[in-house]
Amino acid sequence: MTRARYSNIFYGYLFLLPYLVLFCAFILLPLIYGLGLSLFQWEVLSNAPPRFIGLGNYREALGETYFWMALGATLRFVAMIVPSVVCGALLIALALNALPEKSGGFFKAAIFAPTIISISVAGILWRWFFSAEFGLFNAWLAPLGVKVPWITENRWAMKSVVLMTVWWTLGGPMVVLLAGLKQIPEQYYEAASIDGAGAIRRFFHITLPLLKPVLLFVIVMNIIGSFQVFGQTFMITRGGPELSTRVLVQYIYETAFASYRLGYGSAMSWLLFIVIAVFSILQFRLVRERE
Amino acid sequence: MKKIRLRLIQFFLLAAAVVFLTPIALIFLTSLKPDSEIIHFSGIFPRQWTLDNFREIFDTPEEIPIFRWLLNSVFISSAVTFLILLVNSMAAYALARLELPGRRGLFVVIIATLMIPGQILMIPVYLIINKLGLLNTPWALIIPAGAGAFGVFLLHQFFLGIPRNLEDAAIVDGCSIFGVYRHIVLPLSKPALSTLGIFTFLGSWNDFLSPLIFLDSVDKFTLPVGVALFQTSYAAEYGLTLAACVVCTAPALLAFVFFQRHIIKGIALTGLKE
Repeated sequence: MTRARYSNIFYGYLFLLPYLVLFCAFILLPLIYGLGLSLFQWEVLSNAPPRFIGLGNYREALGETYFWMALGATLRFVAMIVPSVVCGALLIALALNALPEKSGGFFKAAIFAPTIISISVAGILWRWFFSAEFGLFNAWLAPLGVKVPWITENRWAMKSVVLMTVWWTLGGPMVVLLAGLKQIPEQYYEAASIDGAGAIRRFFHITLPLLKPVLLFVIVMNIIGSFQVFGQTFMITRGGPELSTRVLVQYIYETAFASYRLGYGSAMSWLLFIVIAVFSILQFRLVRERE
Repeated sequence: MKKIRLRLIQFFLLAAAVVFLTPIALIFLTSLKPDSEIIHFSGIFPRQWTLDNFREIFDTPEEIPIFRWLLNSVFISSAVTFLILLVNSMAAYALARLELPGRRGLFVVIIATLMIPGQILMIPVYLIINKLGLLNTPWALIIPAGAGAFGVFLLHQFFLGIPRNLEDAAIVDGCSIFGVYRHIVLPLSKPALSTLGIFTFLGSWNDFLSPLIFLDSVDKFTLPVGVALFQTSYAAEYGLTLAACVVCTAPALLAFVFFQRHIIKGIALTGLKE
């Protein structure tokens, strides 16, 4: 027994070893390393060796206008995209769920399809759609005599990014919500119909309460994902005009890989992490509640 | 009345499908237009169909090494998929099945890292890759990918659902742990492995931030970064840019058409823990 057991344990760890090496080298170590970095002033371009400054980077970020602008842009994006995507996805999922069993596969696939397109392609495409002079949207609007400054004016730029993001990301939440709707037993609806409840009452008294756990999960996941927005603004607006769409991840990217301020960039990414962690913990609780 | 309602819903869904598909169709249709038709938009379909844009991007490999980018993308995405399937399934098997001291705690630590947003690791991973001398090589994108916890989680949950007596019987018959993993667990896990494989491949194929950070010479680029380069260097030449976009999009779209059911089911499963 014991010999076989020990050899089992040995082989077991052998199975784990390759993953654990990678996990330690590219997740655990970077996590600690990054936290350490955030306490140093390290500006590669100045050739000065890294210098320990404690919470100096964090203080700098919290006292700097650009950081707050980037956080503000991120929050504006999150505040617009989450309700748009979740409501849109719910609406389409409800429509799909109302179709007879085993139909609607084409609609589902069509609406999901944009999510498999690379952000660089999607960004190029929509930058062209939004272009003021040669853009597709303004070409379509031209007969009406309307010309929209989609990405050239502050008050439009972020909304345009949101519009594009709805197209690009709606598929995932839609599929999850549809699967959630399918889990609601048919009998509930039948019973309610017999009792004379109309479609709207059925939605608010049956669908919504029973879908709540899935819906909350989708909302929280969407919030977490949206805080990490980068590709859309990087490709479509480049953070402009006047930095109105420069979100946190883009600012971190520029700080670390264009200005090579590695310590400062790390500190800002930890600040972003804290914001996201709040929502992650919330999500963790939701998942636990469901079990 | 019921019939009318159904028709209305179908009409709504059809409209939504058209709205979501049109931009994708425009990538393909526009790449077949001459530049003049793109700048002065004259309808979704080309008046004069042409392959000139494709000819031009494929004929000037010194300026636009698109073929190189395609090869890089294929190599990197395949290698990432292979690495993740191998390493994650081994780890998930050990964590789900083998009686190892400390495996519960280890599993919790691994799963907890699912909450860490990738961007927070971006700077330190860059420095580690630099130390390893792997910057500007495909390995910078391949090796760190194996560390992700998602695959371990997905496969772990799947392995738990496989009936145990099959494995026990094999062990009684003298099969080694590796034999059980290779000849029983893996074949039974084909659905989970293919879902993970497709997700991983598409995710790696479309990845933008990592190649942007880790690669800097043009001939090392993957398609998404190469295509993004287009936007800056050939800003006015939409036709060429969109032809490059087609090269980047077509393989992913093809994979989607073939594996659509797997992909959609997989997404639904990750959101709904059964």
